Amino acid sequence: MSNLSRHIQTVVLFVFAIYALAPVYLVLLASMRSEADLFSGPLSVPWPINIENYRRVWQESGFSVFFLNSLKISASVTVLVVLSAPLAGFAFVKMQFKGREALFALFLAGLVVPAPSIIVALYGNLQALGMIDSHLGVILPQAALLMPFSVFLMRTVMQDVPDELIEASVMDGATFFQTFLRVVVPVVRPGLMSLILIVFLFSWQEYLLPLVVLQTESLKPLTVGAASLQGRYGVDYGGIAAAGLIAFAPLVALFLVMQRSFVRGISAGAVK
Amino acid sequence: MPTRSAYLFLLPALLLYLTFVAIPILQIVYFSFFDWDNGIRGGFVGMDNFARLGGDRVFLAALGHNAIWVILTLAFPLMAGLLLAAILAERSNNTRRWLGAIYFMPRTIPLVVAGIIWGWIYNPLFGLLNYILDGVGLGFMAGAWLAEPSSALLSLNVVGAWTFFGFCVVIFLAAIQSIDPSLYEAAEIDGARWWRRFRDITVPLLKNSTLFLGLYAAIEAMRFFDLIWVTTQGGPGYSTEVLTTHIYKTFFLVGDFGYAAVLSVVLLIIVLSLSSITFWLLKSK
Amino acid sequence: MQRLISISVGAILAAGSAAAETAITQWDQFSQSGITAAGPAMDELIATCKPALDGVSVLRTVAPSIGIRDSYRLAVSAGKTPDLAYTWPAASVLAGYARVGALAKLDKYYDQYGWPQVNEFYKGRNSYDGHIYAVPMEQDLMGVYFNRDLFAEKGISVPTTYAEFQAAAEAFKADGIVPVSFGNRDRWPATNTFSLILGLTVGLQAEQDVFFGDTAWTNAGFKQAAENFQAWASDGYFPRGFNGIGYDEANALFLSGRAAMTITGTWVLQDMIRGADKFDMGVFMMPPMADGVAAGTMWGEGSQWQLSSTTSAEGQDAAAAYLNCLLSDESRKVWVQKGHTVTIGTTPEELAEWGADPVVQEFFEGGLATTETNFYDLHTTLPESVTQVLYPELQRLVGGEASADEFLETMQAAWEVAIANGERWIP
Repeated sequence: MSNLSRHIQTVVLFVFAIYALAPVYLVLLASMRSEADLFSGPLSVPWPINIENYRRVWQESGFSVFFLNSLKISASVTVLVVLSAPLAGFAFVKMQFKGREALFALFLAGLVVPAPSIIVALYGNLQALGMIDSHLGVILPQAALLMPFSVFLMRTVMQDVPDELIEASVMDGATFFQTFLRVVVPVVRPGLMSLILIVFLFSWQEYLLPLVVLQTESLKPLTVGAASLQGRYGVDYGGIAAAGLIAFAPLVALFLVMQRSFVRGISAGAVK
Repeated sequence: MPTRSAYLFLLPALLLYLTFVAIPILQIVYFSFFDWDNGIRGGFVGMDNFARLGGDRVFLAALGHNAIWVILTLAFPLMAGLLLAAILAERSNNTRRWLGAIYFMPRTIPLVVAGIIWGWIYNPLFGLLNYILDGVGLGFMAGAWLAEPSSALLSLNVVGAWTFFGFCVVIFLAAIQSIDPSLYEAAEIDGARWWRRFRDITVPLLKNSTLFLGLYAAIEAMRFFDLIWVTTQGGPGYSTEVLTTHIYKTFFLVGDFGYAAVLSVVLLIIVLSLSSITFWLLKSK
Repeated sequence: MQRLISISVGAILAAGSAAAETAITQWDQFSQSGITAAGPAMDELIATCKPALDGVSVLRTVAPSIGIRDSYRLAVSAGKTPDLAYTWPAASVLAGYARVGALAKLDKYYDQYGWPQVNEFYKGRNSYDGHIYAVPMEQDLMGVYFNRDLFAEKGISVPTTYAEFQAAAEAFKADGIVPVSFGNRDRWPATNTFSLILGLTVGLQAEQDVFFGDTAWTNAGFKQAAENFQAWASDGYFPRGFNGIGYDEANALFLSGRAAMTITGTWVLQDMIRGADKFDMGVFMMPPMADGVAAGTMWGEGSQWQLSSTTSAEGQDAAAAYLNCLLSDESRKVWVQKGHTVTIGTTPEELAEWGADPVVQEFFEGGLATTETNFYDLHTTLPESVTQVLYPELQRLVGGEASADEFLETMQAAWEVAIANGERWIP
């Protein structure tokens, strides 16, 4: 390849890196500015670095509570999904039963159902179940909405488990469940890791469900808290920036550390 | 071997899915045939609620915006992702790893937060974008971005693309890496330049990934809500109204449950058709 | 734009320990800063009014002033109506809740406690089908906050006619100063601005002919009002991109000294007084905008206290006694002094006597001088289905996307549908 076109390509790579990073960098700057003067110098590097915005948002605006709520909701959704989706995925790939195709199609249909389209009915049902304004009312529907994707991902992952392993285990007199735990789970551990990360990420990002289900302030997660900040501080962009960072920094950190698992999960099924 | 324990394996996932997704879908369809007042169900009205769709300007505008969103997404982040993946595929492992991570990172940011960040960048009074444009002598290009009907949807799409192009890079990159390297080597021996290799080998062999991402983008374009709700709430006027915001307003702000159910049914029909097409196309390959 | 939310869910008072004691859940908007930032006053009054509760405890939640309207709707439709709520708006929206039986009738408490400051006008706004469902508290008024220093610098005096107002705006514009700070990204602020322009263009009677009579929106007076609003935008009275500027941001622009005026209500008095540390701030009443229209301003109760129909009888009794205490003469003084909040029935003389901030006095002296001709807030007059059409249509009108005629035709269509659905509120 000629040097010129390689340089042009490098410029393209660089420009898109700026596109991806610049907004995050600007938010970081704003969050550390001691007195966010709206009308001047938003690009200057704040010095000395100031964590007052973080302290204020964390302690006074309840972000420590929102953070714990996000953690609780996302962790619960993840646990629920991890306890159920791999079993279903396994059944769909490695077990024969009546209605397999139909049931799988049923799950597939759910892959694209948007939360806003069922919220009208969901809201009434949660009310009837007494789950409005409770974390359970967010956790269960969210796990359910993520279930089709998770089952689909697990089915793809389980395809790589050699049938001989399973047959050998069953021949030894193990039940399917024992086989699943002792033979299958160790083999698909990387796939499970991907599932955990993706489900955690998606449930952390969820906004609509907690927005409509939770009414008590002390139950709300970070996404809802951050959105309500917009007017709450009026024009205190330092506080809003700090709140935004608190809301996404854990996800970015998690992603950077576990990048491989993320990518594997996301591209499974898409490439083949 | 057929086995009954399969049903036990399926039970937890199925129970959750039926209770909180499948049954609500059926209920939505049922609700759409009734009259509602402030959340209380009234009499059966047949197709009356559906008949309102044709005369609902906001619905038609929203549908149009959803369609524009799909086209913009196909034109920009998807194409950019393809190009970047093709370039990255020839770089060192380290470059690939780091740039891949950087491109993908916005995707990990909740759309609500992305909306807040970009809403601030676009702010007409003290937005960073106008500030930067002024600073580099392009002040004449400064605009009111989200405040103008002509630029609002496009400006929001830049935010959507920001969270999506890295996802495309990752998917395309994985697909390119599964292409047989000998194809490229043969082409290189034949003297094919980069652009020709990209056009003649990479693009045709990525047909499935492109199809997948294209339909994924289309379905996402029908489903998104957060980004619009925290930035423009569908405004100014109706210029960024989409189906999901129309549903939200009809349900939660006006309290018209019956019509909100109709809009939900329409949304479901669209996404389910799109996904059926995807699977049929991918299967027929 | 949401407002404060402190998580003081647990501001539990009362004797605490008794196992079987009744608790009342209270939702209010009295945050520590921002719109209706009367948090300190509320805290003090809860302590003061504790005896009135007779052992019943109050579980308080501070909800965002803007958000409370939607959260309350959700709570009602979820069957979780809070026992006592200080929410908005009355009239049309309240009627919807009363219609579905979510609210307790308060007639007997009005008989018991009198509450004479709630006159027939306010009673009407809080009634549905012959019964009264709420107790209004705050006196809200619309006015023009202005930067006295800028006015003095340019040698402009406070406008007393619409022509003078226009001349002032032109003068500021020529000097590169934003004449009127205005931000409508949050969609609701334009409704207040338009309510004011409408009343000052057509007068109270013409409004009533439409809202409670048979006159259509598509009439010459309404058209003139819509054109006036649109002209302010096209003549450059507002900052660029106003449809993308938040309400708080518009206030901040004014407080930064870069805009000469901003037109909004008494509900941000506290924040404005606190924020105007760089210049001398004043308030005047917008003059009539057409010949033969009487001076006046948009007024209303802002928010009102309402009780859930699901609350126990003794809970309702305790809540009513507590409300009576919140509205007492001593309490009114606390609201004014600690909360910059003026309750209905408070006179300008009392404000002077109690040492209210001069800006507060100026605002209420002006607004309460015209009680006979003050007019309606569209928020509290239109059913929610019409308001949700008004929001985007006003963005289009002011943004120049729709003509005055198109705007009024759309509003008339939504109005007819609402009337056909039995949603119209008539006092």
